[in-house]
Amino acid sequence: MNEIQQSLQRFLPELALTGALLLVVLVDCAQAAWKNAAMRVLTLAGLAGSLAFCLGLRGVSGEIWSGMMVVDPLGLFFKVLLIGASLLVALVFTFRNSRELHGQGQGEFYALLLAVTLSNLLMAGANDLAMLYLALEMVSITSYVMVAYMKGDRMSNEASLKYILFGAASTGAMLYGLSLLYGITGTTSLPGIREFLGAGMTDATRTTMYLVAMLVFAGFGFKTAAVPFHFWCPDVYQGAPTPVTAFLSVAPKAAGFAILTRFFFSGLATPGADAWDLTGSIDWPWVLMLVSALTMTVGNVAALTQTNLKRLLAYSSIAHAGYVMLGVVALSANGARGMIVYLLAYLVMNLGAFLVVTLIHHQDGTFDLRDYPGLYRRAPLLTVSMAIFLLSLMGIPPMVGFMGKLYVFAAVIERGPSYWWLATVGALNAAIAAYYYARILKTMIIDAGNEEKPAFRLATADQAWVAVLAIANLLPIFFWARIEDWARASLTLYAGR
Amino acid sequence: MTLQHYLLVSAALFALGVLGLLTRRNAVNVLMGIELILNSANLNLVAFSRYGTGNLEGQLFAVFVVVIAAAEVAVALAIVLTLYRLRRTPNLDEADILKG
Amino acid sequence: MNAEAAVFYVLAAITVGSAAVVVLARSLIYSAFALLFTFVGVAGLYLLLGADFLAATQLLIYVGGILVLLLFGVMLTHKLYDLDLRSEVTQFLPGVIVSIGLFAVLALTAWRTDWAGGDGRAPAATTREIGQLFMGRYLLPFEAASILLLVALMGAAMIVRRKRSA
Repeated sequence: MNEIQQSLQRFLPELALTGALLLVVLVDCAQAAWKNAAMRVLTLAGLAGSLAFCLGLRGVSGEIWSGMMVVDPLGLFFKVLLIGASLLVALVFTFRNSRELHGQGQGEFYALLLAVTLSNLLMAGANDLAMLYLALEMVSITSYVMVAYMKGDRMSNEASLKYILFGAASTGAMLYGLSLLYGITGTTSLPGIREFLGAGMTDATRTTMYLVAMLVFAGFGFKTAAVPFHFWCPDVYQGAPTPVTAFLSVAPKAAGFAILTRFFFSGLATPGADAWDLTGSIDWPWVLMLVSALTMTVGNVAALTQTNLKRLLAYSSIAHAGYVMLGVVALSANGARGMIVYLLAYLVMNLGAFLVVTLIHHQDGTFDLRDYPGLYRRAPLLTVSMAIFLLSLMGIPPMVGFMGKLYVFAAVIERGPSYWWLATVGALNAAIAAYYYARILKTMIIDAGNEEKPAFRLATADQAWVAVLAIANLLPIFFWARIEDWARASLTLYAGR
Repeated sequence: MTLQHYLLVSAALFALGVLGLLTRRNAVNVLMGIELILNSANLNLVAFSRYGTGNLEGQLFAVFVVVIAAAEVAVALAIVLTLYRLRRTPNLDEADILKG
Repeated sequence: MNAEAAVFYVLAAITVGSAAVVVLARSLIYSAFALLFTFVGVAGLYLLLGADFLAATQLLIYVGGILVLLLFGVMLTHKLYDLDLRSEVTQFLPGVIVSIGLFAVLALTAWRTDWAGGDGRAPAATTREIGQLFMGRYLLPFEAASILLLVALMGAAMIVRRKRSA
């Protein structure tokens, strides 16, 4: 009884979301004029309450629900990031400023948003293979539904079909890997697995562990859209409604990195002061390095030729997953810090870019870069903000994107000369990325065209949010010490038993 | 009967499921392949639970997998159905407006 | 060869054989009906492994739920007079090579790995124990699964429902 009480206390963020989700579903059944406003308020209140409960859990560490989940500073960081992403999406994108959402049922959108957030939180704290798989599938299934949200839209539907078939196949492979892992270790609890593997293993078992890692990585790779499990990504991001794309490109990806980190560091390694000791002495860094380098390169090279902005940002988000992976590759405390700083920066820069794209689509009805000339004259605020988001995505100081890149690159370089080639690949990729981001800016600012189109009429709220996101990309550099403290304090993983 | 016998059956199911994924054009048929993969993993879990340390963790994991499979199939079929209504085809390679 | 072995080989043959039909049959209807035998065969293997609760779950959910859903899917995506329900096959040879390779790797793994030891648990009724675990250690995933089902139900209904106004 005592244990359940304690678990409930440490589970308040998730409970707040569950409560809000159920209330939204109930309110959606009402036939009243106020129902849409009520659902929006409920969603925002649920997310804000959840965030507040998270802040109340600072410094708490331990297992809850009989070891099914853990609460620890790193998990808490991810929870704050994930709830923050949902909150921003709910605030910034409305049914008014997105053409694609316009006229669709609002209740379902808010309920799905809350459900994905809840699943993301469960994934960030999962401590048992069964819980891990359940949470991962919860995120996936709710995401499939979100992508198919635009009823009667062929692209949305097709994107969702590709998403679900690809997702079901890769998580199926992952499940097979997890079952083999259970067979090797005889337990589904991550600390139990680490204990077992830490005791050493025979050569035959080590070979099997390679197979397990490959199969399990299919699932994580799918969630983080890492090469070679990225094929769904461009189609899904292009076909889904833009607010959903913006959300999917940040939140489930971050949750994927949370569970990837936890699986490796809680299941397979002992966190140490410097570089973490991986038990089982499998050569993980090489596998991860290769994936990271490929993910960056494939994403950036494919983005070069895109003219559809949503598709371009989809490929660029694949590339960014590669950069985040650099932090995982370093397998050190600094690497993990780089990863979380990068994800934080990625949240504000990517959401900002998607917001500008949505607002331009709202006015002009196009996602095509060829329709972007002359925007500087027609919508100066949007263009300047877009410039800030794109420079941040490029990694130009003093934007937050630069800080993210700085941290992951530093973490990789300090691991020694055998890691330097990866840093070089990363730097070359940053140069490729700079080219296509700059091309967007050139089109918007310098290119002539569209003289006859009228100037943008933007709602005050939309202007405010664009400005807020732009400032969020610029200002953090001034109180970086506090962010650094927060990131450093978040590096503790609950590892005991 | 040993553990290995069951693992062989499960490996065969997995390989057949992958074959279904790779060679079928019909979305419903691809879903059947995915069900084979899930069943093979479940068979593994139950076999390990019986012959391994004897705890029930594997069986409980398998129960959750069954529940997830049901939810996934429900959503997937809803999408296939809508696709059919919009395009009059259940075939995957005819779903091709997203390209590039 | 004792009775258990005989039952195992029969069940294994049914499972793998019908799974092969699922994947190779030309007609979707044959595939769907073969899938029935695969699911029942796997349920039989569960019984042989002493997992009685799971065998019942398999029959109830897979045969009673998922298979029926898939059959609906087959029926609703084909015109009623379209009797042959052909499902075409592409890239057959590469697919076969990949899956044979996969099977070889997995089979080798099954033989060579030192799986977690133990003398094994004698088959006993598991339903009671599983029920207690659901209300104890597995309480959180149990509740989370109910949220998943709610969302899946809502989502499936949302996707299929026609747009109210164009």
